[in-house]
Amino acid sequence: MVALRSLMPLLSALALLLDACTLLQPATGFSFDSSNVAVVSLFNTARQDRRAGNLSAADATLERALRIEPHNAALWQALARVRLAQGRYRQAEALAQRASALSGKDKALMSQDWRIIGKAREQSGNPTGAQDAYRKADELMR
Amino acid sequence: MTSTSLRQRLRERLTPDNIRRALWFGLLVFAAYILYLDHVVRTEFERKSWAIPARVYARPLELFPGEKLTRARLFEELKFLHYRIASTTLTPGSYSRHGNDVDLVTRPFTFWNGPTPATALALHFADGKLAALQNLATGVPVSLARLNPVLIGRIYPADRSDRQLITLSEAPPDLVNGLISVEDRSFYTNYGVDPRGMARALWTMLRGDGVQGGSTLTQQLVKNLFLGPQRTLRRKFTEVIMALLLNLHYTKQQILEAYLNEVYLGQEGNHAIRGFGEASKFYFDEPLSQIDLAQSALLVALVRGPSYYDPRLHPRHALARRNLVLKELLQQRHITQAQYAQAIREPLGIAVAPPLSASPYPAFLDLVRRQLLRDYPANELRSAGLRVITTLDPEIEVAAEHALTTRLARLETEQHLPADSLEGAVVVTNSQTGEVQAIVGGRDPQFEGFDRALDAFRPVGSLIKPAIYLTALEQPGSYTLATLLEDTPLSVQESRGVIWAPRNYDRRFHGLVPLPTALANSYNVATVRLGLKLGLPAVMNTIRELGIRHALPEYQASLLGADSLTPIEVAQMYQTLANGGFRVPLRAVRDVLDAGGHPLQRFSLKVTQVVPPGPVYLLTYALQGVVNHGTAVGLAQYVSPDLHAAGKTGTTQNLRDSWFAGFTGNHVAVVWVGRDDDKPTGLTGATGAMTVWGKTMAQIDPEPLNPPRPADVDMAWVDPATGLRADSGCPGAVRIPFIHGSAPVQSAPCASRSPIRVLKTWFQRLFGHQSGI
Repeated sequence: MVALRSLMPLLSALALLLDACTLLQPATGFSFDSSNVAVVSLFNTARQDRRAGNLSAADATLERALRIEPHNAALWQALARVRLAQGRYRQAEALAQRASALSGKDKALMSQDWRIIGKAREQSGNPTGAQDAYRKADELMR
Repeated sequence: MTSTSLRQRLRERLTPDNIRRALWFGLLVFAAYILYLDHVVRTEFERKSWAIPARVYARPLELFPGEKLTRARLFEELKFLHYRIASTTLTPGSYSRHGNDVDLVTRPFTFWNGPTPATALALHFADGKLAALQNLATGVPVSLARLNPVLIGRIYPADRSDRQLITLSEAPPDLVNGLISVEDRSFYTNYGVDPRGMARALWTMLRGDGVQGGSTLTQQLVKNLFLGPQRTLRRKFTEVIMALLLNLHYTKQQILEAYLNEVYLGQEGNHAIRGFGEASKFYFDEPLSQIDLAQSALLVALVRGPSYYDPRLHPRHALARRNLVLKELLQQRHITQAQYAQAIREPLGIAVAPPLSASPYPAFLDLVRRQLLRDYPANELRSAGLRVITTLDPEIEVAAEHALTTRLARLETEQHLPADSLEGAVVVTNSQTGEVQAIVGGRDPQFEGFDRALDAFRPVGSLIKPAIYLTALEQPGSYTLATLLEDTPLSVQESRGVIWAPRNYDRRFHGLVPLPTALANSYNVATVRLGLKLGLPAVMNTIRELGIRHALPEYQASLLGADSLTPIEVAQMYQTLANGGFRVPLRAVRDVLDAGGHPLQRFSLKVTQVVPPGPVYLLTYALQGVVNHGTAVGLAQYVSPDLHAAGKTGTTQNLRDSWFAGFTGNHVAVVWVGRDDDKPTGLTGATGAMTVWGKTMAQIDPEPLNPPRPADVDMAWVDPATGLRADSGCPGAVRIPFIHGSAPVQSAPCASRSPIRVLKTWFQRLFGHQSGI
């Protein structure tokens, strides 16, 4: 009885860990997770479009995904990347901030957000602001 | 002057030279006449028939496994789309149902990212969800699909506001075939006139049987476009010239499309029914693309004489002529014997009352038009055949309309108000993307008049208070959710020496009250004291940051919402709160395609961070208190408390305006209820607008509100009565969010670190658990 009771926290911790593993399982490589197949497929399509330089298609596809999962930080981040590629630096920064506000405890994701902010500031001629952002990104990875 | 001298003089003048000159002159006049006709034909034709209006669509319904979508909601959407129940085989735009499964074939549609072909899908529903989605033919799972969007209206040229203009592709093939079979068999090969037909007509006329027939479709179009119904030889001549010219300048398709939109097909009072699109609406109350073979034949029958063959006045004439058209279609082998046999047995299928409303959602269309006019010149919008994909969600729109109309009628009975005296407006948006999903501009949603959601400026009352509390919470060094505010008598010297003494709704003062309580119970005095301490400019600045663009007067009474805003402006303000301090401009249009389906312009998502997420998170917590135990506690009658909705009631002087603004996990909604003549309604925000809000939300199945906690926000236990730190075990202690480092340091008597508590625990340890101290 006592032995079992002392095992309980361990067991529940194990269960939680397992749960977390299945939840965090990257659906498509990279650090994107969603249990929704529609969102995963849209995310992948948008990434292909962005890499192929078809930015307006990527934009439309990511918005479509955001309508399905509006609280998904990775989608906001992906949209920030599209804006960065479009040269719309202020929007890139704002969207990365939105992503960061939704990232919760995911420091790796948040660090990427700040890296995007850094790039946006750098390319819009704000090197000091960019350095601040990069520093923040590094701190989050420590 | 004698006759001989006259003849002689004539002979003298009729020299070959003179005759040649006269001939040249005549030819010149004739050429000028032709050129003139050519000018008329071209300008009029371009002006009239190229005016293909912009077509406006709702949001397409997305389909994906796991989606919160019931079968009933799918059927609603299919009804909006005029999908048919398939009897045998599924064709695009039809569906069949078997228990919890629905099979359907979508209609093709060109979206921003390109054309989507018709797709056959098998849908399985379970537990209020679309549980599985497969390709009907292959059985392969489909991760995402979308239906073609519902056409919600058109933006027309100014001079023909109620025309149902159509493109050639929208016309059913039976209709076009019937028309050509009966009216002009050589249409595709002739030069706009048909000499043989004309000879036949001339022969009849010479025989004395009157002027008749023999006109090609092109000639009929000329008559409809440029000439009247009178028939004289001179007009006939002009008609022939013009028909030849039309044929010269335009393709057969262009001529046919113009014909389909111009031909006279009936009369309603002094309004002429022109074109098959409008006729289909007028006679069948159906869009032209939806009518069947028998109905197509009837419309073709009407061409010959809309009054003689009027199916409402002379059904026997109409039926006989319709069957003649069907027979012609059969003889020309456009339809099979079986189709013919079925069609002639059908009744005329005339709608009882002819409806001529342009769009079922005029208020939303109004917003679309305004957003587009910022980017497109008005004439382009009306004539370039643009396709506009909007954000309207027909389900939500219908729910909001229903909630408003039924609640207003109930409220009038309860408040003993004259019938139809109350008015209202509703705005519903997607809380994260800023897309406007529904707009109700008044209790008669079909009325194309004053759009209260966009144009009614009304004092907002307490809806303004969140801006004051947010201004305070942005200063975590001075204000937290544990701060106590003073709700004690207050007199303010106004600029002109007038003393203003704000009062609470319950006419009492409540002493020291926790900040969230003052907001939850909408205490005016505590709020004004807070606002004055923060300073009017700081509060007004917050209001601007939240998205109110136009300048508001800055009075002390502004702190209690004396300034007027429109419902959609209020929605913009609460949108920023629902979005964690990121302002997202409200949008009604997603993208615009040209007539050929090529992408033209996207209105992409834009965000601006205007308030840090921390203070907004705290304010949202307080606004959830308004619904949980404050002035909006009655909302629980409509939606589950598990929704954790955040909101605020608003009531203005003498109960003139009743407001409610609030948000769930996925929607922002704002409701205004009041009277156009500004008389008192007897309603508070909670008894009026909030009930409409609740009824709307109850119908659209919203997501619970659980905003993500920003990184700089911690939770701490406090004793609300004192605003001091407490322990979870302390009676009445609450766990509330604080901006990092702003939680009270000093402990309440009950908390473990307070001197009394330390003594108490020491005694507990000394004498065992229940010490009784």
